[in-house]
Amino acid sequence: MGRQEPKMRISERALTVWKLYGWISAAFTLLAGAAVTVLAILFDWSVWFIIGAVAALILEIILFVFVLPTLKWKRWRYEVREEEIELQHGIFIITRTLVPMVRVQHVDTEQGPILRKYNLATISISTAATIHQIPALDINEADELRDSISALARVAEDDV
Amino acid sequence: MSEEKRLHPITTVMNALKTLKEAFIPIVILVFLNRGEAESILDYLPFFIMGAMIILFLFLGVIKWWRFKYWLEEGELRIEQGLFVKKKRYIPFERIQSLNYTEGILHRPLKLVKIKVETAGSSASQESEAELTAITKEEADELNRIISAAKKKLKEGNTEEFDGDTSIVEEQPEERVLYKMSAKDLIVMATTSGGAGVVLGGVLIFLSQFGEFIPYEAVFEELVDIVETGFLLAGVAAVFVFLIAWLIAVGMTFLRYADFTVKLVDKDIVITRGLLEKKQTTVPLKRIQGIRFDQNIAREPFGYTSVTIESAGGSVLEKDSNAIRLLPMIREKEAFPILNEIMPDYQWKTAFTGVPKRSLKRYIFWKMLFSLVIIGPVSYFFFPLGLISLVLIPLAAGLGWLQYKTAGWSASHDQLTLKYRGFSKQIVYMKKKRIQSLAWTQTIFQRRGDVATIHSTIKSFASGSHSSIAHVAQDDAELLMEWYSPEAEVKKVHDPVRLDPEVEGH
Repeated sequence: MGRQEPKMRISERALTVWKLYGWISAAFTLLAGAAVTVLAILFDWSVWFIIGAVAALILEIILFVFVLPTLKWKRWRYEVREEEIELQHGIFIITRTLVPMVRVQHVDTEQGPILRKYNLATISISTAATIHQIPALDINEADELRDSISALARVAEDDV
Repeated sequence: MSEEKRLHPITTVMNALKTLKEAFIPIVILVFLNRGEAESILDYLPFFIMGAMIILFLFLGVIKWWRFKYWLEEGELRIEQGLFVKKKRYIPFERIQSLNYTEGILHRPLKLVKIKVETAGSSASQESEAELTAITKEEADELNRIISAAKKKLKEGNTEEFDGDTSIVEEQPEERVLYKMSAKDLIVMATTSGGAGVVLGGVLIFLSQFGEFIPYEAVFEELVDIVETGFLLAGVAAVFVFLIAWLIAVGMTFLRYADFTVKLVDKDIVITRGLLEKKQTTVPLKRIQGIRFDQNIAREPFGYTSVTIESAGGSVLEKDSNAIRLLPMIREKEAFPILNEIMPDYQWKTAFTGVPKRSLKRYIFWKMLFSLVIIGPVSYFFFPLGLISLVLIPLAAGLGWLQYKTAGWSASHDQLTLKYRGFSKQIVYMKKKRIQSLAWTQTIFQRRGDVATIHSTIKSFASGSHSSIAHVAQDDAELLMEWYSPEAEVKKVHDPVRLDPEVEGH
């Protein structure tokens, strides 16, 4: 049966970062939930408001901290070959993408403050019409990949 | 032609009119704000302001015209404009893709044209575009000649500096008319475009807006009379309204598409159209990324289709240029010979692989589910009349079935052809080397049925144009990836089908 999955996985530290993102958004939910709780107590709302807020918080933590990042990380694969780049990602909708090297126009790496702390970087591969990202690669790996892609990418001017 | 030049003086009027058009709504509001009885001089104030504004616009138009200069120097088209902030724009000839002509109503009696300089599209192309509002036709043609001569020279590897010398006389490039749209096709186009529906909607909105002036009660009583005397009159009235809407739609189509002509000039496609305002669009052949056939449901039974070009570069400023209509309304079998002349390397007929039988229920199921979302509340709130919405169920199923029948893909050694349907049937022809990326996606539901959706993206203007086919057998999706992969073994899946000899010899 068909093609092999791409071989390379993204850095395991990506999992840590995604979990951190999950905690950060949970912190905001906590704030909102606290506000609802305070209002519910002050104005004598139904107790269901408090239960709802707590449930939302717990659900968010389970999903966005424990379940989804792991699934996402497990699914994420990439492979850079001599003439093509292949990506696979997605939890509920799996996407498998193939980009020939000759279509690549430029490659960028970028880092936010959190990614920098964990020595990670995101790499963006641009063709004339599309942009493809590989998130949270080890910074050295990302730089290496960027250099090797841009060396391999030779856009045939005529075909754009 | 290297001396500095100004545009034709009529530009002042055009500039003023353009500003006036932009300020039209504020002016209307200004006038209507003040509809009371004229008692003091102050009540005429809006009109004074309006007059002053028109004079101001004219004056600004003159200044704008006066400060706008263009010339050719060192292989560049150079434009200088602006009163306080001087703006200079230098466009190298080799960056210029084409000059597109427009002749408005004001241009035509003076034999002038507006020129839009189209450059190779990049994300920053908004900056690199330019417009010459009004220059004489001779000047425009000369500009065109100099630029194409310079480009040709550059291509031949001549490193000598080109200084825009007019002494280079180019032989007239070969020009071949490929297609002229007939009046009959124009009428068919207007009738099936949905334009008539839009006009009808416009009429109804107009009627509802001016509702207060129409004595509905009297009309209603009369209507009752009419109904009593018979449905005939009401029917006649309805037919009459439709007829007028249709006539307006035909008229509007004629204004935009009259004299629609496609020419092949050297290595460019040149499209001209328009009755009052003539437009000329140039598409260099090598910028073509793909060809799209679009057949809406009203046109499909008659074999009519519309052919558009997906082209890289071009204007991002002009909204209606999003897809270049090459053949707006033509019988499919008549389109092939014309396209064959323009792009002989494309295979217009190929064998298709459809989607597997197990996909049919997927095509139908989601649409049915969605129609139930509408039917439920409508039937509940508008009972019993809302039950009519139940017809959506067979309609949704029918559409799903049509989509299932239409979906198909074809991969020959250098071309991918996708066939699919939203409401209207689309066929997209893409050369392998023009495809920017290929992907398939699979939802958890699709995974269970072992099917996937394939996506292909080509460049279109500054961004991309995306085509996809849902619920293809997973093995086929992977086969297609193999075909696209530069490193894989699969070189072709389908063989092209030769056009029928009678069509080819047409």
